[in-house]
Amino acid sequence: MFLQTVITGLSIGGIYALMAVGYSLVFSVLNFSNFAHGAVIMLGAYVGLALATKLNLGFGLVLAGSVAGAGIIAVLNEKLAYSSLRGRKAPSLYLMISAMGCAVFLENLVYATIGSRFYAFPEFFGRQVVTLWGSSVSLLDGGAFLFALLAIFGLHLFIRRTRTGIAIRAGVCDMTMCSLMGVDLNRLIAVVFLLAGGFAGVAGVFLGVKYLVYPTMGWVTNKAYIAAVIGGLGSLPGALAGGLILGMVETFVSTYVSSVLRDVFSFTLLIAFLVWRPNGLMGIDSEDKV
Amino acid sequence: MRRTAALLAALILVAFAGTAPAAEVIRIGHTVSLTGGASMWGQSEARALDMLAGKINEAGGVLGKRIEFVRYDNRNDAVESVNVARRLVTDGVVAVIGPAQSGNSIATAPVLEKAGIPMVVTTATNPYVTIDQKTGKVRPFAFRPCFIDPFQGTVAARFAITDLGAGKGAILYDVGSDYGQWLAKYFEEAFTAKGGTIVAKEAFRTEELDYRAQLGKIKELAPDVIFIPTSQKEAAMAAKQARDIGIKATLLGTDNWGSPDLIDLGGSAIDGGYFVNLTDLADPDIQDFVAEYRAAFGEDPVLPNPVMAQDALIMIVEAMKAAGSTEGAKVAEAMANLKDIKVTSGVLTINPEDHDPLDKPAVIQQVDVAGRTFKFVKKYVSVD
Repeated sequence: MFLQTVITGLSIGGIYALMAVGYSLVFSVLNFSNFAHGAVIMLGAYVGLALATKLNLGFGLVLAGSVAGAGIIAVLNEKLAYSSLRGRKAPSLYLMISAMGCAVFLENLVYATIGSRFYAFPEFFGRQVVTLWGSSVSLLDGGAFLFALLAIFGLHLFIRRTRTGIAIRAGVCDMTMCSLMGVDLNRLIAVVFLLAGGFAGVAGVFLGVKYLVYPTMGWVTNKAYIAAVIGGLGSLPGALAGGLILGMVETFVSTYVSSVLRDVFSFTLLIAFLVWRPNGLMGIDSEDKV
Repeated sequence: MRRTAALLAALILVAFAGTAPAAEVIRIGHTVSLTGGASMWGQSEARALDMLAGKINEAGGVLGKRIEFVRYDNRNDAVESVNVARRLVTDGVVAVIGPAQSGNSIATAPVLEKAGIPMVVTTATNPYVTIDQKTGKVRPFAFRPCFIDPFQGTVAARFAITDLGAGKGAILYDVGSDYGQWLAKYFEEAFTAKGGTIVAKEAFRTEELDYRAQLGKIKELAPDVIFIPTSQKEAAMAAKQARDIGIKATLLGTDNWGSPDLIDLGGSAIDGGYFVNLTDLADPDIQDFVAEYRAAFGEDPVLPNPVMAQDALIMIVEAMKAAGSTEGAKVAEAMANLKDIKVTSGVLTINPEDHDPLDKPAVIQQVDVAGRTFKFVKKYVSVD
């Protein structure tokens, strides 16, 4: 049972980490919590669902389409809801309020147009199960976990090694200085949202395949937000660590204490971090974000 | 300014012109989930009621008056259900059909009782819909045409032991739902009484998506059957996750599973699962209704709500005829004494002691994913 619990914890944590990355990316550059991220994840799931059920595409194309779709939605979201606030140098609190508004707006838009029904993705992989030392791992869970790790690692390399990545890191340190050095800030921020949206697309498809697709599915991201805070908002390795820790804590509490007390533990963990280590595990200080 | 006032007056006139004088119509409230997770049944229920009311009105109405529905969406939410009930009271309806869910019905009952308006819930199966839990006395204005959960839980337990040969059972339920909590309890009692053992009883919270931690515990104890008294959404997710972690036990559910959605959402994981339901598309008693519904809307009714809602309307109509009045107290009194009336699901007699129907049958259905249907397995009329 211990091993089964670890496996379940990791697979839940992997999804949390994927979602937490989106929060961390935006936070590191614009210094606000983009609560519309959950809605973008939800829309990404619907994009994937449409590709899978209407066009009968395979899993790879569905994932790619959803990444592109959610990426574009995230960029549009930034252009329509945040860029004018940014232009007027509004405090980041205003951006956060605008983000909350976007989340409610997008959710209700889906209610009004697509409806409140629940949908499931077609079964891409059947229900294949691999047995490891007496514990079962579904191929989907194992694959999703590995893919999440690879994607986050890829993003890490992108930010460390490429010119755009260096520009993003420069923007994290000092936006004004960065623009004085000739970096197009609007383009830079668009890239950040595109990346965050792409991750939202991946998370949306995985969430949809593992669970179901429905308008309020984005609310599960408040867990990812906790994960981002635990790991240190603005830190990519932190988002990964935070996601895995939260997934493990929740699963162990559900298994060995009580499933009903699970969220009590999650939120206690959040409060404990906010009190004793507000920068989280890896968000050491603002100079070293992303 | 003058023009605005004139416009306003005209609008008010139009608004009043829309509602016929109260004397010629019988206004019946309908509180139903037209949106939200239960909207599939709610929409189907509304159609079936309009269909039947149309027929009754064509045949001359009730006590010479036409039936008219005042319908509000309760969004399958207890707070919203109370708001809807209050609105229906202000609207002056003489009886109410719905809600369909036990939690919402338990919230609605006191409001309508205070106003002296009889309510007939459609598929709310919890005993405390018609019985006041605090006093243990029957609620004078609450009625139902469907079976109740102790019966449903007993049927499920009995089927598990005698037909599935199960000795060890596990339960996975939603701790935030009245429906699930009580059914878990009734199933456990009946299963244990019949000689079985409940090896695990695990709960999750409403809106939670991942039950693998709970299922992991259940897997360890190797039950023969897992009882999952939830709606189709949770059942589908639980089934997928149970199969993912290698659980092979038979899955057993309750009437809330009975939506075509279950097959879309659960896929191969839910295949072969059994559940208790109020009616079955193959039930010989409802064939006329099913044919009529198909002809009108070009699709199958989403059972059981449409059938139970029609039963509820017939109960109200018959009680009004028996009382010769639409006055709440008289209608309620007549309803408590309804005997052998013909309803859509068969024949119905109300027990005046608890306002539940006597000998309401339950069917066991099996999920057949390949055929995209629920196969009729067997019918229970009573359990002892």
